[in-house]
Amino acid sequence: MLAIIRPDAWNFPLFLHVLGATALTGATAAVFVGAVSERQWPWLRTVVARTLLLVVFPAWLLMRLAGQWIDSKEDIPGDPGWLGVGFLVGDAGLVLLILAMIFGAVAVRRPQRSWPIRAVAIITGIYFVALIVAMVAMTGKPGA
Amino acid sequence: MDRYHWLLVFHVLGAFLVLGGAVFGGILNFFAMQRERPSEVVVLYRMVRIAVSSIAVGMTLTLVFGLWLIGDLDFVKWSDAWVIIALILWVVANAIGGVGGKREKATRELAEQLAAAGDAPSAELRARMRDPLTLALSWGSGLVVIAILALMIWKPGS
Repeated sequence: MLAIIRPDAWNFPLFLHVLGATALTGATAAVFVGAVSERQWPWLRTVVARTLLLVVFPAWLLMRLAGQWIDSKEDIPGDPGWLGVGFLVGDAGLVLLILAMIFGAVAVRRPQRSWPIRAVAIITGIYFVALIVAMVAMTGKPGA
Repeated sequence: MDRYHWLLVFHVLGAFLVLGGAVFGGILNFFAMQRERPSEVVVLYRMVRIAVSSIAVGMTLTLVFGLWLIGDLDFVKWSDAWVIIALILWVVANAIGGVGGKREKATRELAEQLAAAGDAPSAELRARMRDPLTLALSWGSGLVVIAILALMIWKPGS
């Protein structure tokens, strides 16, 4: 039960937003685990780079665009903190994901360097935690 | 946050663990099919166990906090069609996901045996990883969970 009273017109964008957010969270976790485990199995770098490009980024797009779609329909008075957290994690997340994709590609092309894949692990670890915080803020709406 | 929002947070956290875990497992499963050496398949299949744990915890959270929410709210009834259908789908998703998971566990065990016995590419392992029934069960379980998400949002008949 995501919300009890809501106009029907919000349902489809909300469905896409939640679907995108859950896929983004799961794919980010997969990238983090792959990047952390890469020291033992270096071929995981390819898995990490491809997952970032083919799953994480499309899921971010779905989550963010559907979120914007809902925002265009919903007139929320003021600027509640929970909404700000959602926008911050969404928009700052794009910067983090672009950096992770660049570092992921460098890690594949320069196998002798270890810092790019470490950077991917740190970035996706931080982003995973941020996504959970955003989920709690947007669902619980503290202060609303 | 009031009680309703706390219950909702844990209910939605469960949904994130289930759907996120399904995506996590699906990604590793997909890349396992691209690998030839059994030892590499084993690595990816062992990581899938993280996804399985996430899904198991998430399924429990969605059920416990979902039922708690129904009991707590006056305007949602146990007899609502979408509640009943969601509960049936929850059982279906667990059942077919469980059967698919057991078949994948058998594939992982075969990969472990092959890895220990020379790590040569195997046609049998390749065929097991692409077994249509196993894939239909695992991916079908994911689709049922997405259908539950749709029910939770649209709440048909409420």
